[in-house]
Amino acid sequence: MKTKPALAFAALSVLLAVALLLAVSIGAVAIPPLSVLSMAAQALGVHSFAVPDATTQVIITQLRLPRVMAAALVGCSLAVCGVVMQGLFRNPMASPEILGVSAGGSLGAVIAITAGLAGESQLLLPLFTIAGALVCTTLIYLLSSSRGTTSLLFIIIAGMAISALCGGITSGLLLFARQYEVTQYVFWTMGGLDGRTWQHVLLSAPVLLPGVLALALFSRELNIFSLGEEGAHSLGVHVESVKRLLLALSAIVTGVAISVSGPVGFVGLLVPHLLRMLVGPDHRKLVPASALGGGLFLVVCDLVGRIIAPPFEIRVGIITAVIGSPYLLSLVLRTQRRAAGVR
Amino acid sequence: MTGSTPVPGGLPASVPLVAADGLAWSVAGVRIIDSIDLAVGRGELVGVIGPNGAGKTTLLRLLSGALAPTEGAVRLGGRPLGEMSARERARKVAYMAQESMQALPFTAMEVLLMGRYPHLARFERESAADRQKARDALAAVGLPEIENRVIAELSGGERQLILFARALVQDTDVLLLDEPSSSLDIGHQDRIFSLTQEIARAGRTVIASVHNLSVAAEYCTRLLLLDRGTIAASGPAEAVLKPELLDRIYGVRTLVSPSSATGSLTVTVVPGRTGGRSARVHVIGGAGSAVNITRELYRMGCRLSGGVAHEYDSDEKLWRSLALTVESVGAFSRISDQDVARAARLVEEAELTILCSFPVGAGNLGNLKLAGRARRLVIASPGPGDVGRALLSSEAEELFRQLCAGATQLSYQEIVAMISQREGSAR
Repeated sequence: MKTKPALAFAALSVLLAVALLLAVSIGAVAIPPLSVLSMAAQALGVHSFAVPDATTQVIITQLRLPRVMAAALVGCSLAVCGVVMQGLFRNPMASPEILGVSAGGSLGAVIAITAGLAGESQLLLPLFTIAGALVCTTLIYLLSSSRGTTSLLFIIIAGMAISALCGGITSGLLLFARQYEVTQYVFWTMGGLDGRTWQHVLLSAPVLLPGVLALALFSRELNIFSLGEEGAHSLGVHVESVKRLLLALSAIVTGVAISVSGPVGFVGLLVPHLLRMLVGPDHRKLVPASALGGGLFLVVCDLVGRIIAPPFEIRVGIITAVIGSPYLLSLVLRTQRRAAGVR
Repeated sequence: MTGSTPVPGGLPASVPLVAADGLAWSVAGVRIIDSIDLAVGRGELVGVIGPNGAGKTTLLRLLSGALAPTEGAVRLGGRPLGEMSARERARKVAYMAQESMQALPFTAMEVLLMGRYPHLARFERESAADRQKARDALAAVGLPEIENRVIAELSGGERQLILFARALVQDTDVLLLDEPSSSLDIGHQDRIFSLTQEIARAGRTVIASVHNLSVAAEYCTRLLLLDRGTIAASGPAEAVLKPELLDRIYGVRTLVSPSSATGSLTVTVVPGRTGGRSARVHVIGGAGSAVNITRELYRMGCRLSGGVAHEYDSDEKLWRSLALTVESVGAFSRISDQDVARAARLVEEAELTILCSFPVGAGNLGNLKLAGRARRLVIASPGPGDVGRALLSSEAEELFRQLCAGATQLSYQEIVAMISQREGSAR
């Protein structure tokens, strides 16, 4: 099953480039990919190709490009955080949702919406989402740490409790909210990338890119965590600090990512799992592969959502869920069947 | 695995490689480990033994630095463990924990290479030499062919061998092993302990917790018997494996005897009869006829005595090693009436006397006379494979006829069944 990693990386890069190009080209106004390429060439200082007209240029640079970039960034971040959580918890089913990021983010979002702040500025909703996610994660972290150690098992329990609490408050707030606010919130929870501007990209990228890079630097430690905390300690890993750092980074990166897109499910579960079959579990390969693969996956899902039922757009969270849920089921079934086979 | 054991310069041979002074660790006010002093030098293979909950794993975790002691300190080669960086520590001491689950599909080779982590710089890739070390370790544990197999799909025993190999790959002077052979068959168990023996002989130090006392006695240069967090005994197997000590600490009846094949001590547990009254049985044997029935009854917990036996007879040797009350005479000498009178005391106080089946000649005629003194006599009738009862004189025949009149004749199995039934109802 495992292919040569170099081949996998080459394939992922090419596919990502093609997906980006197609995502910019395809839409209500069809733009030939060649025009997009010649524009790119011009941006790089090569003026020998004919560039499209001004309207097309605006569509490319102001509408599609920021959206596609946001999709790639968010997909990359969510997939990498998924890998990190799975490595840390030694469980291929783990995801940053354990840290209460989604529940806290949703609470932040509903506060912004019901307080009427979401309409004030495009950036307030994302900001509240990040704040909610981080407050929630911090709370879970503090609850599950004592005497300088953090119990991963207790994180799961505290995470469930705090997530349920956030969910309750969110529902409570929605009960008193106006109809359009409820609709706005429900829309947000579907996850979507429509109307994302350069502002979204430029504000989130300085957090997401360094965050993903920092997570990738701990690939070897993630490998060693698979031996258990005791084994990792025996090999000289600073278990507590690495654990804390990775949890904090994952929470921040996920929080910022879903502040851009809303809670897009399954990217962090599906992409790492697929790629683990392709490049193996070594995080030194899996993390970069997931970064590429996550970006590719979300760009493609967003594109599918845009073109599958014109003139409507299906929100990207719906597409990932529709692809992700059956896959998750098949994953569980296969694991069970294998476990049964072993016994 | 032996070639690469440099003796570090500057460290005098007198400094123990692993030392603990006043080591204590408590959780929630309970002292799991209590003031343990320890000094282990190069070349030692120390077996940490003791019942469950005695603190074996906790002691190993303290020595590995996985736990910080509440009191006292651990020193490695004279340097306090607490002052070492994680990396320095990981180059000095490897710790093999009890098996942990592995859900991610890493291959054996990938797991073994993780053992090189403390020797590699941050972004350094494993070199061919590192791979060779991993391959050597795999070959050493006898699994050279599973290099590319996924760990999670191996058997429990193979996974344990991989964990052991991973500790070898770490290439440290000190190896701490927590139950390294708990899920291994005897072949692999021997392999792991022979390897650790080899490693210790090459001048490193191995400290392993071991449940199987006979295994500990066979391979370890020193045993450390833990009892509720303290050292109850420390020293060579002969000094530590004392039935009176083991019985108290493990709460069972043990039998310690040198293995006739290897000479190392073996510890067997005698299923204990706690409470209840056990039968008092006297066994009259000779020529090895009493060996099987004695073992059987001993395991059932009967209070046994034996005799009159001839010295160096296998019956006598067994009875002595079980520390039974035995009356005996010199090898090949005649059992006199005085000897019978001495032994009669044992026979008369026994509820049951078993006359095993053995040839009766001039020398042991006394044993038939002795049988006549029994409160209740059972005469064993030999089955196929048992020692036969040849009565070699008319006097013997006459005595035996008299005995038969007042006794029950049963096969050995029937005797055991009868006593165990009786024991069962007495309980």
